[in-house]
Amino acid sequence: MRILLIEDDDTLGDAIREQVASDGHAVDWMTLLADAEVSARAVAYDLILLDLMLPDGRGLDFLRGRRSAGDTTSVIILTARDQISERIEGLNAGADDYLVKPFNLAELTARIAAVARRYTGNPNPLLRLGTLDIDLAARTVRRDGKKIDLTAREWRLFEALLQHPGAVLSKARLEEHLYSFDSAFESNTIEVHISRLRKKLGREVIETARGIGYRLQRT
Amino acid sequence: MRKPYSLRKRLSYGLALGIAFMWLAAVLISSLIVRHELDEAFDSALQETAQRLLSLAVVEIMDHEGALSERRISPVRPHDEFVTYVVRDQFGNILLHSHDADRSVFPTKPRSGFSSTATHRIYGEAAVSDSIFIEVAEPLTHRRQAAMESTLSMVVPLVLFLPFSVVGVWWLVRHSMQPVIGLSTQIEARSAGDLSPVTSAALPDEIGPIAIAVNNLMERLQRSLEAERSFTANSAHELRTPIAGALAQTQRLISSLPENDLRTRAQGIEASLQRLARISEKLMQLARAEGGGIIVEKAIDLGPVLDAIVDEFRRHTQSGARLRYTPAEAGTLVARIDADAFAILMRNLIENALKHSPAKSRVDIELLPGQVRVINVGPVLAPETLGSMTKPFKRGSSKADGSGLGLAIAAAIATNGNIGLNFQSPASDRQDGFESIVNLPLK
Repeated sequence: MRILLIEDDDTLGDAIREQVASDGHAVDWMTLLADAEVSARAVAYDLILLDLMLPDGRGLDFLRGRRSAGDTTSVIILTARDQISERIEGLNAGADDYLVKPFNLAELTARIAAVARRYTGNPNPLLRLGTLDIDLAARTVRRDGKKIDLTAREWRLFEALLQHPGAVLSKARLEEHLYSFDSAFESNTIEVHISRLRKKLGREVIETARGIGYRLQRT
Repeated sequence: MRKPYSLRKRLSYGLALGIAFMWLAAVLISSLIVRHELDEAFDSALQETAQRLLSLAVVEIMDHEGALSERRISPVRPHDEFVTYVVRDQFGNILLHSHDADRSVFPTKPRSGFSSTATHRIYGEAAVSDSIFIEVAEPLTHRRQAAMESTLSMVVPLVLFLPFSVVGVWWLVRHSMQPVIGLSTQIEARSAGDLSPVTSAALPDEIGPIAIAVNNLMERLQRSLEAERSFTANSAHELRTPIAGALAQTQRLISSLPENDLRTRAQGIEASLQRLARISEKLMQLARAEGGGIIVEKAIDLGPVLDAIVDEFRRHTQSGARLRYTPAEAGTLVARIDADAFAILMRNLIENALKHSPAKSRVDIELLPGQVRVINVGPVLAPETLGSMTKPFKRGSSKADGSGLGLAIAAAIATNGNIGLNFQSPASDRQDGFESIVNLPLK
């Protein structure tokens, strides 16, 4: 997934970015709401991790602004304030979940996965696609009980397609999903990853919509 | 301690009784003076009469010299005699008397000057070398009646006016005390959390400063409560962020280390940081619980707060799935309690119930209007354990890993918020278990 992290504390932000990236997501880390606002307009993020107290404003105002602009990106609030009133206010403003600092990074990983599943309308972490058994929570794919190893990039690409069953995703969209601003990539990287995925999972799993993009096989 | 008294009653009674007493005293003194003056006037008239009559009597007696027989002066016209008189010689023989004169009224021996009998005032005057005496008698009833009438003429208006003056006093006192009573009812009627200023306009000089002082105090209290609240919230924020950073970095470090000594050490640091996070969390809650501002001005529906807390437990903890809870209808839990304080209270009670009950057992959260009960399965606790549960760092006999502060925090919030908090073991209608009962203060 492509994730926007908004957190002004360097130590904590650094650890979160590393954790989320190691989970195979692309992370853009912003320390100011103004920067976050620009990024959120430019990129279709799958998830925003939002601190509530930023040097240039309140996270809740940012959230309300995004929601009123029609942005439905999932949001997990990360806050050091634990007042129930703020929590209710945050959830009312359109947040999907709420994590009070300090939290365990494993907990963050689990929440991100849970929100992602909830958002794609598939709260069940276990999927079946043709002959494949997919566990979204554990990030594993099996065929006939045999595990297929995917790299983090490959998994991320596959997950993007899984999150939009039946929909055609353009190359640009997939690139956006895969890479944060600071990572460099070759223009044909998506094609390379798709072909590797097809090799591992089977040709029929990913269809090519010529000139438009890629989509998951219809089940 | 002295019994409280009412200033208004005191003033009313004091003034009314004082006025009545002064009036009575005034009437008494003036009636005595009137009596004295009347006596003087009557006496003088009596003397005058005696002296006038004496000269006439002497002439009369001289005209009938020799015939020393008793003579009765016949009236010019028949009438009732008020003043009677006798003229006697020095031996007491009556020479002359008025037609109605009663001899028994007069002393046997004639005497000069004033004298009184039980019924009459008598004046005697002598003439012709003390050989002829005249004595004039006037009944006392006449004087008494005059004195009585003059006294009455003073008393009657007073008696008539006294009720009016009592009513007047009562009204005046009531009217003048109105601002005081208004101020005191205003202060009395306000709720414990209400720190808005009292109206100090139109108060008399004597109590105006009280209202101003009260308002200043309220303002200062309000400010310090707000400062305290924001301090607690801010210090919580300031404390949590570095702990979160340290914990997250440590966890990243652990995940990057191979299984070795260093990793074990890093895990030790992680465990300590988690413990630090938990304990600082509880200490901040305790600070919040023991501070002010738990009672708020406006009543709020705490139902959604409880919903959010239960939701939080279910989403974020494994044991949360053991909670049996049905959201209340709106208005079931309405009280003037700060939402966060209530949240801290309920979180601690639920946490306690989950912690001290066997895995997979149910924890019931039951609701009645104004009441929440949290019931968990567990052994019956001894009464002395129940009594000392809310002491900080006291943990029943349980080995559960708790901060030992949860119930102390709950108790502090309950005390400061006027919330009834009781613990029961066994739980009601059960053989065993533990029950916390929260009774919200009435509106």
